[in-house]
Amino acid sequence: MRRRAGIGAIQKQKLEQEKYRDKGTELQENQFEQMAKQLEVFRTNLEEFATKHKKEIKKNAQFRRQFQEMCASIGVDPLASGKGFWSVLGIGDFYYELSVQIVEVCLATSYKNGGLISLDELRQRLIQARGKSKQHQDITNDDLLNASRKLRIFGNGFSVYPIGKGQYVVQSIPGELTMDHTAVLTQAANSGKAHVSVSMLERELKWETGRAEKALNHMVKEGLAWLDSQDPQEKLYWFPCCFAACINAS
Amino acid sequence: MAQIEWPWQYGFPPFFTIQPNAETCARQIAAWRALILEYHAVQKQGVLDVREAQRSPLFNNSAINRTLPQEGIVKILEDLARTGNAEPQDKTKTRWFIYWHTLDEWGEIIYAWAQNNGFMNTVCTLYELTAGDNTSEEEFYGLDSEILIKALRTLEQKKKAELIFFDDNQGVKFF
Repeated sequence: MRRRAGIGAIQKQKLEQEKYRDKGTELQENQFEQMAKQLEVFRTNLEEFATKHKKEIKKNAQFRRQFQEMCASIGVDPLASGKGFWSVLGIGDFYYELSVQIVEVCLATSYKNGGLISLDELRQRLIQARGKSKQHQDITNDDLLNASRKLRIFGNGFSVYPIGKGQYVVQSIPGELTMDHTAVLTQAANSGKAHVSVSMLERELKWETGRAEKALNHMVKEGLAWLDSQDPQEKLYWFPCCFAACINAS
Repeated sequence: MAQIEWPWQYGFPPFFTIQPNAETCARQIAAWRALILEYHAVQKQGVLDVREAQRSPLFNNSAINRTLPQEGIVKILEDLARTGNAEPQDKTKTRWFIYWHTLDEWGEIIYAWAQNNGFMNTVCTLYELTAGDNTSEEEFYGLDSEILIKALRTLEQKKKAELIFFDDNQGVKFF
């Protein structure tokens, strides 16, 4: 645009800019409205879908997982909202029920494992304890993870830690495990021997002696590890939650 | 010899090291207590000698090459004594009586047997009680004679029985 001289021209330019701006907001509002409408439609559809397939969601583990994924991808957590339409559906109930059962199992086994249980053992015990119908038996590790993550609202007394190779441990006593502690657990679980030692951590994790000792001593102090001083080479630290005979013991 | 079913802890190596953590140690001692009582009940063995104990399979699991140290054994025995499930024979604390039933319980068990089998107000010899034909199915059959006398003394205190010693014989009369 060729620049014209004079005060009138400047005013005219200002006016034009204002018009542009107005048009811009108008367009934005339109878009927003449309988005909101679309989202509303989507929500209704999702609601409809959930109501329609409520039974299926509760019964079928795979279906449940996919539904969870779908919800997660649009930022809806059917477990988090106690109010609103989700609670009416009772999808959360499935997980709430499961959470309570998880707590029960953890408490019942803490006398032997010090409050640390592998997700696999947890699942075995839940399946034993729950009803015999397929609906009750068909619970996946995914469900357990979802349910136990919900327990975090009770503070740090309940946490889930990955220990590699798709395995998890659930901790049911207060206190937090650091990265080092979970690394130790990962070693114990993956070595298949249920124990670790300072030299093993030095070798496998390239840790310094002090670091390994600190982590192990802490885990003994927390009642998670058992000390064994009768190995001819060095002190061993054992984890009941990885020890097969302990897992199978009633 | 009767077989004992070992608990899972028996194969868990650190079970044979007294645990530094108080809570873990309490769990460990509870498991040891149960195992010791069960073992002695199955073996019908009323006395434990600390000096020889480490050779017994109870405290020595050769399969995993672990032995509970002597201090550990004494620690658990002292805990058993606290609840009346064990008692040192003298101050050196080397020989211990093991009561898988406490003396009171033994007294009641024997007294119930006497009541149910019509031995009230008659004299039974101690030999009859632990080795006679009438008691071969009873739990106290084969019970250590010293423990038996201690158990009967608890009944004596409750005025439910009286121990009688004559010549070389020992007897008891229940009322």
